[in-house]
Amino acid sequence: MNDLHPDHAAAEASSAPASPVRRRLLTATAAGAAGVAGFFGPWTHHRVWAQAAQAKPLVIGLTMDASGQYAASGGEERLGAMMAIKEFNDKGGVLGRRIEAMHMDTETTPATGSRVAERMITRNEAAFLIGAVHSGVANAISQVAQKYGTIFMNTNSSSPTESGKDCHRVKFVWDGNGSNFANAIVKNAMKSSGKNWVLLTNDYVWGHNTAKATRSIIEGNGGKVVEELLVPQNTRDFSSYLLKLQQLKPNVVATAVGGDDIKALRQQVVQLGLQKNMAWINNQQDWPDVYGLGPDAIFGVFGTTWYYRLDLPGVKEFVASYQKLFPGMAIRVPGNVFHNGYMATRELLRCVEEAGTTNNLAIIKKLEGRKMSARDRLQHHDAWIDPASHQCQQTIYMASYNDSPAEKDDIFKILASVEPKDVVDGDAPKNCKLESYEATPSYQT
Amino acid sequence: MNALVNLLPHLVNGISLGLLFALIALGFMLIIGVMETINLAHGSLFALGMYAALFVAAPKFGWAPEWQVAYLALPIGTRYAIALFAAPVIVGVLGLLLELCLRRTYGRDPLYGLLLTFGAALVIEEGIRIVWGSNEQQLPLPAAISGAFMVGDLIYSKYRVFASLFAIVSIVGLWAFLEKTPYGAIIKAGAHDSEMVRALGINLGRLRAAVFALGVALAALAGVVMAPIWGIRPQVGVDAVVPAFLIIVLGGVGSLWGAVVAGLLVGLVVGFTGAFASEWSLMSMYLLFIAVVTFRARGLFGKKSVLDT
Repeated sequence: MNDLHPDHAAAEASSAPASPVRRRLLTATAAGAAGVAGFFGPWTHHRVWAQAAQAKPLVIGLTMDASGQYAASGGEERLGAMMAIKEFNDKGGVLGRRIEAMHMDTETTPATGSRVAERMITRNEAAFLIGAVHSGVANAISQVAQKYGTIFMNTNSSSPTESGKDCHRVKFVWDGNGSNFANAIVKNAMKSSGKNWVLLTNDYVWGHNTAKATRSIIEGNGGKVVEELLVPQNTRDFSSYLLKLQQLKPNVVATAVGGDDIKALRQQVVQLGLQKNMAWINNQQDWPDVYGLGPDAIFGVFGTTWYYRLDLPGVKEFVASYQKLFPGMAIRVPGNVFHNGYMATRELLRCVEEAGTTNNLAIIKKLEGRKMSARDRLQHHDAWIDPASHQCQQTIYMASYNDSPAEKDDIFKILASVEPKDVVDGDAPKNCKLESYEATPSYQT
Repeated sequence: MNALVNLLPHLVNGISLGLLFALIALGFMLIIGVMETINLAHGSLFALGMYAALFVAAPKFGWAPEWQVAYLALPIGTRYAIALFAAPVIVGVLGLLLELCLRRTYGRDPLYGLLLTFGAALVIEEGIRIVWGSNEQQLPLPAAISGAFMVGDLIYSKYRVFASLFAIVSIVGLWAFLEKTPYGAIIKAGAHDSEMVRALGINLGRLRAAVFALGVALAALAGVVMAPIWGIRPQVGVDAVVPAFLIIVLGGVGSLWGAVVAGLLVGLVVGFTGAFASEWSLMSMYLLFIAVVTFRARGLFGKKSVLDT
């Protein structure tokens, strides 16, 4: 066969070495793919910021409401986080890095919470996220946070699902939940007030799950839920609900209503004098939602996790720090929402220091099972973070209105403090399926 | 029979609620009907009316303390009555300033007016926060209209009865002003044929300003009346402007009695669903709106302007 034969030419072509151009193209493509591949895949997602070697500020995203139903509480928890951050910055920051807080309004809306979280992580390089009062918002943020492995300190939402079926490896829940408060309050209320209950429930995840926890205790102790009335968020007029309550004539009304809704409800109950006709239990009463309402409107028994006049070492100094840092605030003394915002932020920064790194998995391991003394928490009993559900187990207080106040703001009377082990949410660890460490993207900023 | 007896209190409650909704929508109706301008600042002006009433009824300022002490020594009933009339006047005057800004948008794309009033709503709300703060406040009430009374074995709020009666007086008063006074005739004529009104020598600019100020004053008046029921917060205006808009369109843009009937319907629907299908209570007004507008796009009493009240 000569060289010019077609078959010879074809055989020559198939075995010929790749041309230089093709070789360069293949090499470049392989190099590019190798480089890009490092950024894909959920299992090991490494983000090493270009400036990590420098003292780049540590950015913390405050995903807190500044509008909507929980605007008042959102403002309070932001102050708590800011106070903790300032304390660390006054000592030189954390790991030699100054802490910068960035706040965006989550508008008491889950969709906005998602968008804010995504933006803070991907565009603003937030190392950690802190916040959320509304449980729907918390759930939305935590899904985004888990996707990127960003630690999310859920400061003030109280749906049992946050540390139950909606738990995540990156999320740590710092407030008591509906089950904790129901365990503390409901049984005692049945003994003192009666067995026929009506539930007034905010129509979203926290209300539903809190009502479910309350109902299970009522029915488990021989009581009866006569009716459950759902209250859509942002309800302003409760006249039809209150007329219905009068027709039903329950012994006790248990409310799982929060934010601006509970303010309107309390005022309208007082206008009818209904607080005298039946016993009222509010599962959890956040400080910004009653401050300034007037004595008549703070009726019933309710749960909380902290009060500014607890007779414990360190409390007065804590209150003084708040007043010095935030003079002239409309809310002159801090409450439970501020306390949660402060404690969550402080413990996060302490864990970063103890871990000696900003690697999220290392910090998560520091947080899980973390024990915090009563003195450190400014509460009556020691607290800890349950490694199975990532919820902070803490003292629960039962309170009512204080009709002998020592000063103008002394509006709560603490009736009892309950140890965390006595009010544990037993269902949370069963329902919570934390993602594995391997399934959680790892990062370091 | 028992069922009817159980329904009656909710019927009464629904009518009361409806009258209050109609009162909230009145100012919005007047401005949109006469000037064909959608005043998105209606809710913020409603909130401003609450704060103006608070300022008049329970002033707290550092200057002229002796005057303040003397004023606060007056019975709360007197101060509340002064607030009820002074707050709408104060806010109405501020409405004149807003109308001054709106003049450049007349005759242009309605979007300009919409955007301007939307911006004004944000400015007013933030202004309230700066001056009064973000916290909930209470408007003190005289004892005569506070508290409750019994009918059968049910308790009703005295203030709600007062508020409902006041709403009726306001609605009838506005109707009488528009129907029975020469000023009302001029307003209606201006809505119908502004060129003719101008040709007859009436200052159209002043007419529009007066109508706008009246609409704003009505928004503020509604705020004063609703303050003890909804509470005083900077963002409370949002709870007013959305139902007001819905009621105006449901009743027919520009129709006074349309707004009243629509308000009553909304009140009844919200009242009944609140009692018997509570999770639907907020949604119910929107479902009613969809149901009516689907079959009657102009609303129940759809008219072009306030000419036919």
